Amino acid sequence: MSRAERRPSMAERRNSFLSSPMQSVGTPLVVPHLAGIEDPLPDTTPEKVDVLIAGTGMVESVLAAALSWQGSNVLHIDKNDYYGDTSATLTVDQLKQWVNDINSNSSKCYENAKLYISKTLSQRNKYQSRDFGIDLSPKILFANSDLLSILIKSRVHQYLEFQSLSNFHTFENDSFEKLTNSKQEIFTDQSLSLMTKRNLMKFIKFVLKWEEQPEIWKPYTDRPIIDLLLEKFKLEREQIFELIFSIGLCYNLESKTVGALQRIRRYLTSFDVYGPFPVLYSKYGGPGELSQGFCRSAAVGGATYKLNLQLVSYNPTTKEATFNDGSKVKVEEKVIMSPTQTASDSKNVPDQPYEVHRLTCIAEKSCSQWFAEGESAAIVVFPPNSLKSNNRQVVQAFILGSGTETCPAGTSIWYLSTTETGSRAELDLDAALEALEVSLIRETSTEFENENGILEFGPNGESIINSVKLGKSFKEYIPRDKIQFLLKLYYTQYTSTPVFDVVKDEFFNRKHDANQELLIPGASDNGVIFSSMPSAEISYDEVVTSAKVLYEKIVGSDDDFFDVDFEEDEVPTGSRTAPVEYENTFEEDDDEDIEMSNSNVEEAVGEMEI
Amino acid sequence: MHGIKRRQWTEELLKQKKLQDQKKISEYRDLTKTVLDKKRKEIYTLETFDLTTQVLKINPEFNSVWNYRRDIINSLRDGLAIESWEDELNFTMAQMKVFPKVYWIWNHRVWILNNYPNSPLKIWQRELVIASKVLEMDARNYHAWHYRRIIVNEIEKISGKSMDKSELEYTTLNINQNISNFSSWHQRAKLLPRMFSTDEVMDKKKFINDEVSYITNAMFTDAEDQSVWLYIKWFIKNEIVSKTLSGDEYQKMLKDLKNNILAINEDEVEFSGVQNNWCLKILIVIEDIETSLGITNTSNKTEYIEQLIEADPLRKNRYMHLLNKH
Repeated sequence: MSRAERRPSMAERRNSFLSSPMQSVGTPLVVPHLAGIEDPLPDTTPEKVDVLIAGTGMVESVLAAALSWQGSNVLHIDKNDYYGDTSATLTVDQLKQWVNDINSNSSKCYENAKLYISKTLSQRNKYQSRDFGIDLSPKILFANSDLLSILIKSRVHQYLEFQSLSNFHTFENDSFEKLTNSKQEIFTDQSLSLMTKRNLMKFIKFVLKWEEQPEIWKPYTDRPIIDLLLEKFKLEREQIFELIFSIGLCYNLESKTVGALQRIRRYLTSFDVYGPFPVLYSKYGGPGELSQGFCRSAAVGGATYKLNLQLVSYNPTTKEATFNDGSKVKVEEKVIMSPTQTASDSKNVPDQPYEVHRLTCIAEKSCSQWFAEGESAAIVVFPPNSLKSNNRQVVQAFILGSGTETCPAGTSIWYLSTTETGSRAELDLDAALEALEVSLIRETSTEFENENGILEFGPNGESIINSVKLGKSFKEYIPRDKIQFLLKLYYTQYTSTPVFDVVKDEFFNRKHDANQELLIPGASDNGVIFSSMPSAEISYDEVVTSAKVLYEKIVGSDDDFFDVDFEEDEVPTGSRTAPVEYENTFEEDDDEDIEMSNSNVEEAVGEMEI
Repeated sequence: MHGIKRRQWTEELLKQKKLQDQKKISEYRDLTKTVLDKKRKEIYTLETFDLTTQVLKINPEFNSVWNYRRDIINSLRDGLAIESWEDELNFTMAQMKVFPKVYWIWNHRVWILNNYPNSPLKIWQRELVIASKVLEMDARNYHAWHYRRIIVNEIEKISGKSMDKSELEYTTLNINQNISNFSSWHQRAKLLPRMFSTDEVMDKKKFINDEVSYITNAMFTDAEDQSVWLYIKWFIKNEIVSKTLSGDEYQKMLKDLKNNILAINEDEVEFSGVQNNWCLKILIVIEDIETSLGITNTSNKTEYIEQLIEADPLRKNRYMHLLNKH
């Protein structure tokens, strides 16, 4: 495989990071520089390793880093010439190649990839292939989540830049409603009735400590969450949909109480951790960036990296692994492989019965009206039955603007996905795309600006946009100009992880466990432990759990999973760093971690009531 | 602990830290000795001024040094350019950022403003913006609230115009952001009577009705927030309400409020099986007012008090006292 063009790696973007390793005065850089990422093709393969990992996706990369820091000797390979595998962030050209690969090999992981590229994009005048970073499985990061703690603990966050995302829109009655989820919004919202305000606040207070109040939710354990919200909290449809589908990011009306409560709380407890927003995403690309960061950390911890290398066969008896370049390695402990990395005669790939249908578009519109001030991303959720296609499942859309550095100015990337199965899925995705398109045209049009009755004034003179009226007039509006799409990509992805769930330990306890000696004659992947493909989950929440399960399979327990303490390397210094003010993007410096700066702020403002 | 860096104190590190600390302590001791010595000798020079800066940077709680600093400024006053006063404001600002709750810094800043040549209106107006900024960072910093009142007072004195209206808007803004901002509710309670007495309110009845909607809204948003209930208790008993509204209107206002409180309490009982104590307490207050107005309706006061005693036995005697008051 020839070396294709690629987007600058995180190390290349950060010149200062490379050229002056001791730039930060207070703290010496704990993570030294690494050859692995900048030079992905080391000359030699080691003769013997503890663990061989094939595939540099998110879970595999976290696992590689955890194992390296635990002291295991890891060889981490990928058959592709880029990092990320199932989590990759690709250029347009890389994406073309990826689609060709999917369609020419019958893969059990992806299917039905259809790629449309506009003339404007293919002519290369206005845009270059590498202006874009397209995620194969885009993800958002909750501010209060296990992955975020590990990013900080492992210091991988130092390689990354994060931005905030506060706009979650719910698509209802042909228009986008912005969430009312904080106490201040509930208090000041003039469209909510007094009793609704009370009920909403009551629910928010409850959900933060729901486990302690079984008397409230126990009767609803096996019932859909909607019953609890309707009967116990007497909430109205609009609030219920926001809670279940936008805040909870659930997939359908059947979502069960306990799981949904956990998901609703996840959002609420993430709010105000780093500022008035629940979610973050990484600049320059999502999971592709994060996996690269963890690979880098793994390499620092001693792992060896080789791209363009595929495992051809593994012999669980001799423990010998053979690669496509003819080289061999002895694996002392385990071989972990992503289902995307298998060689031709693999026969142990686990069933992947669950479908995720994705539609990724690049629009020639900035979409800034959907973003909060100073931000460049938004989530739009289409609840069941909100679309023309009478969708049974939710369609989730993750919109990224050029501020994320994944697309040039004046464009935006729209990631749509659904857990609907079969041919209905594409209809739902198309209907959601159309809804987005129509509403974007309406919102960018200036025709409504001064129409009577849309802009109203509140009792204190503040202007209120009457969204109900806006919705009505929108319905009668026929868009004149269409949005130009530079790229559209449909594909179906398969996974072993059911929706609304994390990977189960049993998943790995299959016949291909080497200890059980259930080997399939002639298979190239006997004794290999397979990782699972990313699920439909739009957040990173499954990643750490999946990596931990695999870690436990190898090490025996997950007690020392990222049990690293880089703080020791610090020398006490006299001066304290000034509190860092929050400014939408928190760009990490190399000399202070997030928790530290946050605690300083709190200390400085203190808390005292009159 | 969350947010606090765990540090492994090896012996080597401890030794280093101890050495560092020792050095710092002896430097500080020498410095304060020198400064206090010069203070006693009443040496007022730029050099001694700089010495006070050094001490106060390390220890802003040292009020004698602040006093000394003011003495120095006073004696050098004639030779000081405007920039020096600005520098002094900047110095206290820098200190305030690091130590937002030290009385002496706030105190010194007020002194500078008062002694600033001609003490012009614009420096006070600028100061008001600063005070708002500080309150934005911590809405409950009572130093900043106190400071704000001083500044507003001064601006009103210099300009001869009342700022009550804009200050009331300021409390609304704060409460909208956080309904539990007790300082803002308190400030509101201070502003309203003044505004009513100086005829700053154009349509008093409308004002009262709007305020009733506002507190009703707050009560439904969070019926467990005591700052809202305390404000309601103050509001319904205050004469700005009872004198602005006609007898009938006042009674109706109380009745509506009572019905809303009863609705909240019933909802509470239905949801959790227990009554909301604040609802009961305010219902008692309303019934007391109604009794004093001579409205003859069947009083539920005894019942409410019995329920309160049951729900909140630790305050039994206080409730008994309420019961026997009449």
